[in-house]
Amino acid sequence: MTRTQIFRAAVVLGVLAVTGGCATSEEWAEWKAHSTHFASDQHMGFSMRNNKDGSNPKVTRRDMESSPRENWWGKVITVRPDQIFEN
Amino acid sequence: MARWVVGALLAVALGAGAGPALAAPQTPAEAAGEKVIPLERYTTPKGQALARVHQQRLQRYAEQVWGCLPWLDLQKQSIGFQRPKGVPGDDRYFSTWILIPQAENKQFSALPQSRRMSAMFSRYGVDMMRRMADVHDVLADSNVHGFSVVLSWLKPGTSRPGVQPVNESVAAFIDKATGLDYLERRIPHAEFARRIRVMGFDGQTDLGPQTLDIWDDDFAATFKLPNYEPPAGISC
Repeated sequence: MTRTQIFRAAVVLGVLAVTGGCATSEEWAEWKAHSTHFASDQHMGFSMRNNKDGSNPKVTRRDMESSPRENWWGKVITVRPDQIFEN
Repeated sequence: MARWVVGALLAVALGAGAGPALAAPQTPAEAAGEKVIPLERYTTPKGQALARVHQQRLQRYAEQVWGCLPWLDLQKQSIGFQRPKGVPGDDRYFSTWILIPQAENKQFSALPQSRRMSAMFSRYGVDMMRRMADVHDVLADSNVHGFSVVLSWLKPGTSRPGVQPVNESVAAFIDKATGLDYLERRIPHAEFARRIRVMGFDGQTDLGPQTLDIWDDDFAATFKLPNYEPPAGISC
């Protein structure tokens, strides 16, 4: 590895170290600007399935209920209601 | 494409074939019935009285949220009149708890946890308050002290295979005057943030009181899921 290559690698590592732990202003701006990252993968999945034969372009709430998030929520560790509320 | 994304898409395709075998609610009424706190869960006369008077209206509100924001889910038995844990008295807050399917996202993951809470509240918390404020007869009840919104989403990095999924959550309690002043833009973001009570959670770890940075975000009010058809009887 040449000195130039070593220098370039060091610069890249340095940038990653500085920006890896927090959002840069560019990242923050991008997150705010791109609103559709929420559940975008599910949207893509439904879109692909429904448009495949062109006969059923509609997405229903039931489609969403059948999504894999049911499994995510089922297994995920979440704050218990009794940590927040009293009845 | 990340492996979990491929898995998610595959699961969607398989889920489509599974059809009725999945125990998903069939109608808005069924779905909402799972989300509204049942009368028997209230333990004080004030809570019980509020629930008796407004239970049908809460049901319609739950149907509306469930039907019009299909990419979100509502926590079971979360819509009702809650009181904050550890606070003396019996102040009852009109409450909603939503589950947000936040995909792994580089920009979102890079935010500090407190910033993620601010972002989620700005995007969904304020929108939920606005939807609750539209339930005029409930808000007009003098026994309703304010709004409560809980938001939960997958903590970045915990939806990968082999990693225990964990939700980050933010819970906010807003007195009625503060909430309405803010929604009608009579007070600025910073004053609103200063006057509300917010708690943060990492999984089940209580992170204590939080101070949010709140800004305008109209995503939840304007985003339309492509080709989405609301359930019969629901107008969005």
